[in-house]
Amino acid sequence: MRTLAAGEILARIKSHLGAPWRDATYRDTFKFGGPETRVTGIATTAFCSLDVVQRAAKAGLNMIIPHEVTYWNDRDDVTIVGDDPLYKTKVDIMRKHDIVVFRMHDHMHVQRPDFTYVGSARALGLDSKYETAPQSHRFTLPETTLGALAAGFQKRLGAKALRVVGDPNAKVSRIQLGVGYASPSVAGPDIDVIVSGEQQESDGMLDSPAYVLDAVSLGIPKGWIMLGHAISEEQGMLEMAHWVKSFTPEIPVELVKAGEPFWAP
Amino acid sequence: MNPLSRREFVALAATGAAAAPFALSNAGASAVTAQDVVDRIRKNVGVEWRPETVDTFKSGSPDTVATGIVTTAMATMEVLKQAVKAGANLVITCEPTFYGRADSATPPPRRGAGPGRGPAAAAPPDRVFAAKGEFIARNNLVVWRFSDHWRLRKPDPLAQGLTDALGWSGLRIADDPARVSIPAVRLDALVSRIKKTLDARGGIRVVGDPQIRVQTVGVLPGSTPIHASLKTLPAVDVVIAGEVREWESVEYARDTVTAGGRKGLILLGRVLSEEPGMNVCAQWLRTLVPEITTTWIPAGDPYWRPL
Repeated sequence: MRTLAAGEILARIKSHLGAPWRDATYRDTFKFGGPETRVTGIATTAFCSLDVVQRAAKAGLNMIIPHEVTYWNDRDDVTIVGDDPLYKTKVDIMRKHDIVVFRMHDHMHVQRPDFTYVGSARALGLDSKYETAPQSHRFTLPETTLGALAAGFQKRLGAKALRVVGDPNAKVSRIQLGVGYASPSVAGPDIDVIVSGEQQESDGMLDSPAYVLDAVSLGIPKGWIMLGHAISEEQGMLEMAHWVKSFTPEIPVELVKAGEPFWAP
Repeated sequence: MNPLSRREFVALAATGAAAAPFALSNAGASAVTAQDVVDRIRKNVGVEWRPETVDTFKSGSPDTVATGIVTTAMATMEVLKQAVKAGANLVITCEPTFYGRADSATPPPRRGAGPGRGPAAAAPPDRVFAAKGEFIARNNLVVWRFSDHWRLRKPDPLAQGLTDALGWSGLRIADDPARVSIPAVRLDALVSRIKKTLDARGGIRVVGDPQIRVQTVGVLPGSTPIHASLKTLPAVDVVIAGEVREWESVEYARDTVTAGGRKGLILLGRVLSEEPGMNVCAQWLRTLVPEITTTWIPAGDPYWRPL
């Protein structure tokens, strides 16, 4: 079986990125294992969940490239979680399967195109012919209602816990796509609907769903469709898998979905 | 209104209708201003007032004579309209009025401005901010935020409110309002009951096997950081939280379940989870400001789900 050193794969990622590597990143680092780990195959995923680790190992993919965290906090700071028995369980399982984890977050978002947007737009059926300008992530669709738009997205994604704020009957056509936690402004006069991953409900730095509630009260048609963080960014990890495969032809590279963590009553 | 004669007052008092004689004796003479209400809150909340806090007036003049108080988890336009209809002009809200933590009546500078990205550009005028501000001014409303210090009060009024609303007042573990032991129930049945009781629309999301039976419950309304989940989830069968970061507590709960933990995490949404705690606030204010009426007006579940 052919293998590559994780460090070699990282070197190829850096050389193909098309943007300078920023060593100051605390996110895009090894979270388990290291450059010496021999890699038999690569799993890309939204979250390096324990379930993903186990399924990747079973598929013979011992390098995991998640977009998001491994240890339940943004810095993957193990001093926060180190005393939790679940941390030990997770680490033991990763050790047993000779796993190496390297996060690709910051550099994925500086890359052009940003695969998270490409993947999300593809999954939502937001065709580039509707995009107002390349990589504007702004789409003008044939007019529909917020309810029909949300229902269509839910069906396409199979999302169980997608949430919507706004009047279901509001006539909408201008959509701004956001990914993960970085949602664009809903306040702009030329935006009807934000479609994004996760957004703080109120009391944050940015716009909140509360704005949409008040806009609706004032008769201004606005909407916010929240897909959930994992659903929002996971499709971009399929693009990531294709990209990594293009320069690591020696080994298999696959998307191993973390999937939607929720169900809803 | 004519002042009551002594005989009328005695008659009222005898029937128990004069529940607030203080109001009668004070009528007109020393009206309660918004500032008076806040002063009484500060004096009685039992928490040392912090120099840096979001608990400040957001709109309207503190000198305004209060005609009635409304408490709510979030002072949305709908809540403000209902307050006006109820004749109340002092709105006490747990969450911001103007959408962000800055909570200013004009929109904050847009993202992309600020240090390293050029000078902060003032945001253009915003229809929603402007209309809300005008509504507040036109109706002589005063909005005051009550969040930091209300959360610090002991016992935790937000957890108390939520457990009371769910009918669990007598089921506390060791008098901790954030821990209850309920009769064992399937997770899906528990979630359905909570949805109905709290009048939730589409905001509730759950992590965990719907068929597990749960008994011990951690109640964490509001915004829950990972530290609180790390502390609480291992000690109970299910955590009922308001809002968490999905990359923190949701993934922690997911991994807990994968590792064989028969546990659940129920996310209500921030506002929905805080609403019963603002009902507790209304009850408390009735004892603190007996001169005027205090009403709890819930903002409701902001979310719905298609299909």
